[in-house]
Amino acid sequence: MKPLQDCNRNAFSGHTRNLAYAKDLFLGKVNKEEVFPYPEVSNEELDEIKQFVSPVERFFSEDVDSKRIDHEAKIPPETLNGLKELGLFGIQIPEEYGGLGLSNTMYARLGEIISLDGSIAVTLAAHQAIGLKGILIAGNEEQKAKYLPKLATGEYVAAFCLTEPGSGSDAASIQTRATLAEDGKHFLINGSKIWISNGGMADVFTVFARTEVVDNEGQKKDKITAFIVEREFGGVISGKPEDKLGIRGSNTCEVVFDNTKVPVENVIGEVGGGFKVAMNILNSGRFSMGSAGAGMIKKLIELTAEYAGTRKQFNKSLSEFGMVQEKFAVMAQNAYVMESMAYLTAGMMDRPGVPDCSLEAAMVKVFSSEGGWVCCSEALQVLGGLGYTKNYPYERYLRDCRILLIFEGTNEILRMYIALTGMQYAGKILTQKVKEMKKGNIGVVLEVVGQQLVDSIIRKVDLGLTGPDGVVHPSLADSAKKFEENVYLFGTTVKSLLYRFGKTIVDEQLVLKRVADVLINLYAMTAVLSRASRSVSIGLRNHDHEVLLANTFCSDAYFKNNYMMTQLQKNAPENNDDNIKKIAKEVLAQRAYICSHPLERTF
Amino acid sequence: MYRMFVHPTIKATHAHSLILHGYCSQPRRGFHGSSIFLKNKPAATDYGEKSEHKGGGNKSLVTHDNLFERAAQDSRTKATFNRVVDVFVKQDIRRRGHVEFIYAALKKMPEFGVERDIAVYNKILDIFPKEVFVPRNFIQRMFNHYPRQQECGVEVLEQMENYGVMPNIETKVLLVQIFGEKSHPIRKYQRLMYWFPKFKNLNPYPVPHELPQDPVDLARFSLSRIANDLDAKVTMYQMPYTDVSEAGEEVTQPYVIGIQSPDQQELLAKHDTSRPVFVEGPFTLWLRKTCVYYYVLRADPLPPEEKVKEPIDPEQCFFYPLELDLDLDRDVGDEDNFNVDEVEEGPVFAMCMAEKGDQATLAKWISGLQETNPILGRIATVFRVESGPCEIQSAAEPESAPAQESEPEPEPAEEEKPLRSQSMKQ
Repeated sequence: MKPLQDCNRNAFSGHTRNLAYAKDLFLGKVNKEEVFPYPEVSNEELDEIKQFVSPVERFFSEDVDSKRIDHEAKIPPETLNGLKELGLFGIQIPEEYGGLGLSNTMYARLGEIISLDGSIAVTLAAHQAIGLKGILIAGNEEQKAKYLPKLATGEYVAAFCLTEPGSGSDAASIQTRATLAEDGKHFLINGSKIWISNGGMADVFTVFARTEVVDNEGQKKDKITAFIVEREFGGVISGKPEDKLGIRGSNTCEVVFDNTKVPVENVIGEVGGGFKVAMNILNSGRFSMGSAGAGMIKKLIELTAEYAGTRKQFNKSLSEFGMVQEKFAVMAQNAYVMESMAYLTAGMMDRPGVPDCSLEAAMVKVFSSEGGWVCCSEALQVLGGLGYTKNYPYERYLRDCRILLIFEGTNEILRMYIALTGMQYAGKILTQKVKEMKKGNIGVVLEVVGQQLVDSIIRKVDLGLTGPDGVVHPSLADSAKKFEENVYLFGTTVKSLLYRFGKTIVDEQLVLKRVADVLINLYAMTAVLSRASRSVSIGLRNHDHEVLLANTFCSDAYFKNNYMMTQLQKNAPENNDDNIKKIAKEVLAQRAYICSHPLERTF
Repeated sequence: MYRMFVHPTIKATHAHSLILHGYCSQPRRGFHGSSIFLKNKPAATDYGEKSEHKGGGNKSLVTHDNLFERAAQDSRTKATFNRVVDVFVKQDIRRRGHVEFIYAALKKMPEFGVERDIAVYNKILDIFPKEVFVPRNFIQRMFNHYPRQQECGVEVLEQMENYGVMPNIETKVLLVQIFGEKSHPIRKYQRLMYWFPKFKNLNPYPVPHELPQDPVDLARFSLSRIANDLDAKVTMYQMPYTDVSEAGEEVTQPYVIGIQSPDQQELLAKHDTSRPVFVEGPFTLWLRKTCVYYYVLRADPLPPEEKVKEPIDPEQCFFYPLELDLDLDRDVGDEDNFNVDEVEEGPVFAMCMAEKGDQATLAKWISGLQETNPILGRIATVFRVESGPCEIQSAAEPESAPAQESEPEPEPAEEEKPLRSQSMKQ
């Protein structure tokens, strides 16, 4: 066990990725080799997936009683056993450790079905997407051999313990402390962790605690270390399960470690290297949610479409009313985009090597969680009052999917991550040029201004998606053009943002939010263009519908992007940012809504 | 409309009106009016003669003053004030001498504590006879009709304005009945009604008219007002307490009440222990007409060379980078901050108010603070307490014993003079 010698100074820039699709968009470049053609699985793999899927589907439709799980706030043991028998506790654990060893693509496929019950989905995700992920990606051979087989069968359930009462995403405020015992072979962990999914039922915990580490200069410093803690070790106390809005069947509670004795060989990675472990787990765990939203919406469309087709008002069925039709269009479009994004990302992650797709995964999470929320609400709206009752599952879906916007990094935090990661990447490359421009280097200024002039007059952005070497099907050429135009504009916008804000852009959250939203839209456009092109080209059933969805989405996103980028090019007083901040400031200063009541008078 | 003061009543030479003049120490603005008209005005002359009958040779205003003085002998309340007004109104159906009476009443209002009471003002306006002064034709309307009465009506409104009393609908009805729609008092009323509502809520930090009577409550109120931090916590470090000891001496324990916010606590916890902190004061805080004194615990600002910006730990946020590793600064075009030359001040860690401003009492505060801020035990605390009025609202009371840094228990006799002078200044 050696102290942390040289940790990467900035863990965010330290990645092993040579695929950089989303990041290149910040430079106004489309790296089309990475996203075209849409990733495919081989026929054998497809058969394998189908083999896995049908029993799981049957299990969820026959043996899972979601209403009861929600009502009793508990997943019955026989359901859990069924899940274990299906191997769903070890979907991504390699076969050598007794798991299913499935690829990300297959995991996404299973995720679609699992998400039909929010409680089960969260229980399984907490177990394998984050709970045991530490062992899987950063554990050593012994740890893997010791824990993974039991975790894969579900004999052990895992949980991820990071959040504390005073620490959400702030590592500096973690209070749980691990001190080396006198024998030098154990750490004693003390502290409490809150909102731990599976906290009440887990046998193995990935715990992050502060440890004292001697750094290069011989100074003692507190650093985060990750530990594998078994309940067996003693001193692990689980609190009362939280009574939640949704995902009520999943177990969430406080976990207190009271002098829990953990052997030194249970340290994940190095002592003091927990920060990176945590970050890697969080970045890779997020992906599991991508396809969940799509699965849920597809189910909701089926349920509501039946109602809309049979319910009659004014001698017309609901499905004939434009506003109801619009809801179905929104749901179908969202499902399509989510699916496309999720499987595109999964395909990228399944490529050989260790590609870092955390940016893409974060975008998938943000898009699908928000789309899911809108669609659940729309589905409920189709049923009107009926949807609001407990007789139908819509209110449960609505409650369950609300958590998607919150956990595994709130969408706000992820937007910061998306925008800043890209800004950092683009900034590194553009710094020199921007500096030259600031210095007033005539050559550079003329080049840039001239370029812009030429662009504005000729206005022909061609990034090579269409045309002779095009990768997009001609039926989607218009959308591809719009996409290219957006990408080009995004590149110049990013450049001007770097010019204007430099490194202080970190504090411009409203700017960053728009940057992230534009990028998410661009990635979504990429995914639908790529997928629809493939579908047309190989003649999948209903590919014309896909083209329709893709074109609709793209032109919609094109306008939204243009609007956001126009705002980005304006100054704070013009794009309302100043006013927004001022309103919030005045309200927050008084911690209340400060307007006088409309009925109030002065005389 | 208004011109410099040309008091029309002077032209109507009557002794009592001169006396009236003497009573009104500040000159009032009069209306521009035709002097001929005034001379011929019956009401003014009429009044003088009759009041002489009544008052038995007494100057009328003095009579009215006496009326109030006599009433004030039992109690100065709204009820007595109203009674005096009622007596006047019932005395004579023609309301002779009402202008003088109104001036006298206005002057006496603060004494009776009714200067902010709209009902009383309305009652005063009600003294005016109705409809008599309303112009009946365009000529009357064009010239100043019954200027003394109108002026008196304006004076009532002006006093309301000075005390911040908003007229109500009853005021308006009265004014219309007395002076008519387009009279000077109505104009004044309209101006009041235009500006007063606009000013009413202008102050973001309003002070209530009625301040808490208890000095401890007042201190609590004042401290929360200075701190202006919703998280700040007021702590009673010493309860006020008076007792008679065994030796028969009166033992008093001054109250000490302080305020500190979590932010201040955090600042103090980070304070460099080698630098002293200072207890300074007394500083003044005015709450309308009350002056209170407070003390602060502060430190000197850090010299610029010692200011180190704490580098952001790259391993602080699990989700996104807290700073970008870029060599680009913000462009001048996007610096929307005004160029403000800020004078740096040292941090203020806590504030307190105490019944006595001597070092012994303030030391109680510091030791109380130490319970929540253990770091204070390791920092040198310097008392830089100036002598001065150290008791809340004690400007006139000499009994407080202020302290100086060097001598904790100074001679009270010596301290009295600076105390007085201080209070004069404030």
